[in-house]
Amino acid sequence: MAETLEFRVDKFTFRVALDRYYTPEGVWAKLEGDWVRIGLSDFLQQRSGDVAFAELKPVGTRLDFGEEFAVIETIKVNISLGSPSAGVIAETNPAMKVEPERINQGPYGDGWLAFVQPDDWETDRLRLLDARAYFERIREQAEEEVHKP
Amino acid sequence: MTTSRQKVLIVPCSGIGKTYGSVSREAAYEVTEALRPDETQLLALSLLVMGDKSSRQTLAESPAITIDGCKLACATKMVQECGGSVAHEFAVLDVYRRYRQFKPLGIADLNPGGLQLARALAEEAALVIDGMLSEETGGQNG
Repeated sequence: MAETLEFRVDKFTFRVALDRYYTPEGVWAKLEGDWVRIGLSDFLQQRSGDVAFAELKPVGTRLDFGEEFAVIETIKVNISLGSPSAGVIAETNPAMKVEPERINQGPYGDGWLAFVQPDDWETDRLRLLDARAYFERIREQAEEEVHKP
Repeated sequence: MTTSRQKVLIVPCSGIGKTYGSVSREAAYEVTEALRPDETQLLALSLLVMGDKSSRQTLAESPAITIDGCKLACATKMVQECGGSVAHEFAVLDVYRRYRQFKPLGIADLNPGGLQLARALAEEAALVIDGMLSEETGGQNG
């Protein structure tokens, strides 16, 4: 289990895994060997609700940075997810076809979405938020939302 | 000679203000009023929550099928907490995964997709009820 930063707003506890990078929208990316594993942040999955379906672009799909690689349908919304890395989809999580609820159960673990073989990870990484920056961003966002009249 | 048969209790979640909660209640009405009115009885979750003695007594005497709108599973948990027997539990989201063409929308008034999903869930529940009652009959005859 990755080490996390945590904060609590109202009855919700949100966790941010320290060992990866994030898009402002809440897609995480973690370099593992030559590939980048990607998934949804805990904040994004909790905010979006229970996942009904996860549709991923097939292995071999070429992606630009920020290009849609998956669409998630939850009980509340449909979300288009942009890739945190430019490259080619090298592997998708087979569990997403039958148990997309894993995104809710383990967003930083079993609920990962895909591996991308990056063109240039170092360039992508500089365009992402590190865990602490993402943590501060979502904490402010969550507090603003909870205090909305 | 007539024999009185236990009714199967149908316990939907409260889910007020939520689409999937509305589907759970519509499905419960469909089972108890249209599909299996003679074999089932609707039990309001709110009565169990409030500690209504009559409802708890009913629960103690009959098996229940719960229908939950979200993973919090309030109906299932409350039935269990009250000492009831959950014969089968349905989660609306799981049923929706089997009937993706019926996307539920709306709250007070469900869209056609929501109503169709409720109907599909109710039909699955009716089959479970038939199975339970035939087992019971088989047991009595055997």
